Amino acid sequence: MSSGSSPVSMGLGLRRALMRNRGALIAAAVLAILLFIVDWISAGPLTYFDVSFLSSGGATSALAAIGQTIVILSGGFDLSAGAVISLVNVVLASSMDPMAPGASILLWTTVGIGVGMAVGAFNGFFIAVLRMQPIVVTLSTMFILQGVTLLVMDKPGGFVSPDLGTFYLGDAIAGWLPMPLVVIGVVLLAWFWLKGTRFGTALYAVGSDVDSAASVGINIVLVRFAVYVIAGGCYGLAGVFISAQTGSGDPLVGNPLLLSMFAAVVVGGSRLGGGQGGPVGTVFGAYILMMVVNILLVLNVSAYYSTIAEGTILVLAALAGSLSHTSVLAAQLRAARARLAAWRAGMLPSQLEPIDRRLKVAEPSNAQRRPASPRPAFRLRNAEALRYALPAYVCLLAIVIVTQIWLGRAILNPGYWNSLLVLSSFLAVSALGQGTVILTGGLDLSVPWTIGISGIILAGMVNGSDSALVYALPVVLMMACAIGFANGFGIAYLGISPIVMTLATNGILQGFALLYSQGTPAGFSSPMLRWFMTAKFGFVTPVVLLMVVFVAGAVLLLGRTPFGRRVYGIGNGLRAARLSGIGVERTLILVYMLSAVCAAIVGVMLTGFSGQASLGMGDDYLLPSIAVVVVGGALITGGRGHYLGMLGGVLLLTALQMLLAGTTLPYATRAILYGLVVLGAVMALRERRLQ
Amino acid sequence: MEIGLKVRQLALLAGMAACAFGVSGAEAAGKHKIFLSMSYIGNDWQAEAANMVKAIAAHKSLADKVDLQVQVAGPNAQRQIQQINAMVQSGAEAIVVYPISPTALNQVVKNACDKGVKVFAYDAEITEPCAYNVHIDQLEAGRVTAEWLVKKLNGKGNIIAITGVPGTSVDDQRTKAAKEVFAKYPDIKIVGEAVGMWSQAVARTELSKILATRSWGDINGLWMQVGCFTANSMQLEAGKKASELLPCAGEGSNGGRIQMLPQGTEVEGAAAPYAPAGAQRISYASPPYSGALALKLAVEAIEGKDVPKTTILPLPVVTNETIKLCNEGTWEEMKAGCNVFKPSLVSNPGWFASIFSDQTPEIGLNAALVGQPEN
Repeated sequence: MSSGSSPVSMGLGLRRALMRNRGALIAAAVLAILLFIVDWISAGPLTYFDVSFLSSGGATSALAAIGQTIVILSGGFDLSAGAVISLVNVVLASSMDPMAPGASILLWTTVGIGVGMAVGAFNGFFIAVLRMQPIVVTLSTMFILQGVTLLVMDKPGGFVSPDLGTFYLGDAIAGWLPMPLVVIGVVLLAWFWLKGTRFGTALYAVGSDVDSAASVGINIVLVRFAVYVIAGGCYGLAGVFISAQTGSGDPLVGNPLLLSMFAAVVVGGSRLGGGQGGPVGTVFGAYILMMVVNILLVLNVSAYYSTIAEGTILVLAALAGSLSHTSVLAAQLRAARARLAAWRAGMLPSQLEPIDRRLKVAEPSNAQRRPASPRPAFRLRNAEALRYALPAYVCLLAIVIVTQIWLGRAILNPGYWNSLLVLSSFLAVSALGQGTVILTGGLDLSVPWTIGISGIILAGMVNGSDSALVYALPVVLMMACAIGFANGFGIAYLGISPIVMTLATNGILQGFALLYSQGTPAGFSSPMLRWFMTAKFGFVTPVVLLMVVFVAGAVLLLGRTPFGRRVYGIGNGLRAARLSGIGVERTLILVYMLSAVCAAIVGVMLTGFSGQASLGMGDDYLLPSIAVVVVGGALITGGRGHYLGMLGGVLLLTALQMLLAGTTLPYATRAILYGLVVLGAVMALRERRLQ
Repeated sequence: MEIGLKVRQLALLAGMAACAFGVSGAEAAGKHKIFLSMSYIGNDWQAEAANMVKAIAAHKSLADKVDLQVQVAGPNAQRQIQQINAMVQSGAEAIVVYPISPTALNQVVKNACDKGVKVFAYDAEITEPCAYNVHIDQLEAGRVTAEWLVKKLNGKGNIIAITGVPGTSVDDQRTKAAKEVFAKYPDIKIVGEAVGMWSQAVARTELSKILATRSWGDINGLWMQVGCFTANSMQLEAGKKASELLPCAGEGSNGGRIQMLPQGTEVEGAAAPYAPAGAQRISYASPPYSGALALKLAVEAIEGKDVPKTTILPLPVVTNETIKLCNEGTWEEMKAGCNVFKPSLVSNPGWFASIFSDQTPEIGLNAALVGQPEN
């Protein structure tokens, strides 16, 4: 490429640069359009002040999302980002002295970034050095940090020097350039420098293919470790920024930023799973999501519709970013055209004569087959499943013993075991849905409001009558099938990333639930459903018996059916699965339908358990549903895991919560213990060292 | 491909523009432009409060004066900051806000005040001095309920505490005040404590966890921010008689209050556990009318009346001595002292029943249920 002066190659170079940065460019275009729309339909023209406000409004999530992007580029995943922001915020707010309002910007920025990097090093140690799964390490870190944050500051308050605010929210060039944009610009410049170094190349290499990267001599451990430290620094800076912006501390401020951060990354054109994209697009993505707030305001979208509008915008943005010749949608359309042509020509496999076209393989003679090797022992046949599923059960045993010693009345108390199983049943059901999705390499974030809307509609239709349950239950399950179908269709045929698609669905379902209930869910569970969830036959609640059947069914479904094999096939390699004749699209749609149906069953069970449905009743089931799957030994990138392992994860986490609830430890300590136990439980799941 | 890109962008633009024209047509002339910035609307309390704000804005005394726009920020303080900025930019005269954080909004609220916008926070507090606050005294709530429980137990017994959302000022103040009271009585022991997130559903799972290693027989009383209705239902399921229900200091849900009515009271639509049980209770709540009152005060402030910076609402406390069933739930009827609604009118037992204020004759039961003002 040294002859860059010739017009032809310059055109080619430009074209290649455009292609490489498509995601970022489209995100920029969408942002420009949104800005234009806001300018057009709002009362006055867009002034410098508007731009300045917008730039500070999106800066925190943009900065944090840059860090998240770098992690995702390396093939990782970081759930602790929001918690780091909260921690930095309270550390700053509790250590600055209100009596001495002047503060050194450099010092406190360094403190913030330092705290973030320290957390990053903690994550990096477990992920890079001990080779544990990023999602579960960072999830544990998230719980631990939430506890630590509450220890530092248990309620909003504190003081952050106005000097920080003046600096970070002020103007770099008065009337022309707001400071937040400069901060983001500096971080991006640092990224460009980093990207040009050997480390940058190694980062993309590790994200694209770890094995290849290792075999060309890249130090995987070092790269991964550095990635989390750098990302931690970005979250730290975001924490400094939000402290400057709010002038005080709030221990909950960062937590809700987590999900929108992932949305920003994906809208900005980076691919989850690594290797493709970059922070520039992410910055645009973060601002697009922030602009939505203004658009909803100028359009005066009613409160109940706002989450529907947001979900729709998210899907549209993702679609706009993915439309191209090589996109999934385009490929699907081409395939459909080819199928149509084949059908016209009568060449579809189903139209051909049904003769046996299988290859003739010579039957091995009996003599050769006779000395067959003996069936290997159970332990050997299931070595992998055991290795990944057992740790959860070992830890469960330890927790039960601790409960017995600390609180008494556990091991010999049938009530304890019954409560454990009843309380586990919700997560056990959702683990099948979420687990199957994760086995295919996806993630279902629409679980919370699928639970919520199912419970609300069921309670509203049943309204205390057992006979209504007969038709209400099928209606709710059918609705769940439709939800799952929509998710699966968007993911398989439109090529929208699972996180974005299910996040959007979640918002849309929330809107529907609010519209349906007008804000106050009516009705209550029927006596039979309540009996099913809360009554006792001797020491056993009826739902426990159903759980036994459900678990057996789930194990058979994933382990012994063609559907189960297809799920594992897709998770182990999409392309290989497609080439071996698996109907990938059909299977994916079924997988998401299964997940939605499982969530709906949880909604029905919760309604029976509580006697009524409430808005937001599913909110507490999203992260646990993912955590139990991973604690149970499944690989978050898909292809590995066993339902019995996930069940072990469910029982472990529930037993742990029961132990903690029985104590009078403060919440902060419980959160820290919870995180540490989860981390300890999965220590045994670490990957074997690369050869 | 480039052309394709352009076409797609144009199509997107056209679609969005069509949306825009459809909605932002009517511009209210001569009315006060007031915005409501809500938090997360995915729970009963928030939805009820929003209904009441909408109802008061639609009442004949305010309908000609107020152009109300409602926006939702979700649980994200960052978004609420952005939202309030955008509201100021689009010419708000007043902003009524349910603050997600008491401190995080200070800068943006100060900025709004500097531009002459009146900012009213309801239920929770904004610590920025220029903001108006409308809420109950949470410390009083924690203290009064704890004192009631101690008195019921004669200063002796094992209790379970179910708190709210950790890290919020409201939870912190209520819990701290209650624990200060309990600390004065060495024979009162908190034997179990769990985070209830102000949700009946969470209270149920947390209580089930605690009861896995304890039995109801070990417990003498309950102090909960939300969850007495659930706790009473669980005791009935466990085979207790209505007369044996433990004293419970807790929330103002309609279900909990129906349970307070003497056992055997005829109530239309009642079905166990949402039925009179003579439960020993003190019922209090952050009243959901605070947003509606804040809107009313905001209009007064815009019109130049003198409005105090802090309006402390009277703590709505109902005990077995003061519980009284409403027939229709009009404001007049509630003024005469009724404070609980028939299940046939309010089918959701988790619905918050503390909707009466003598300062808001514009709104009654229909306001809280469906956003309809009184006549």
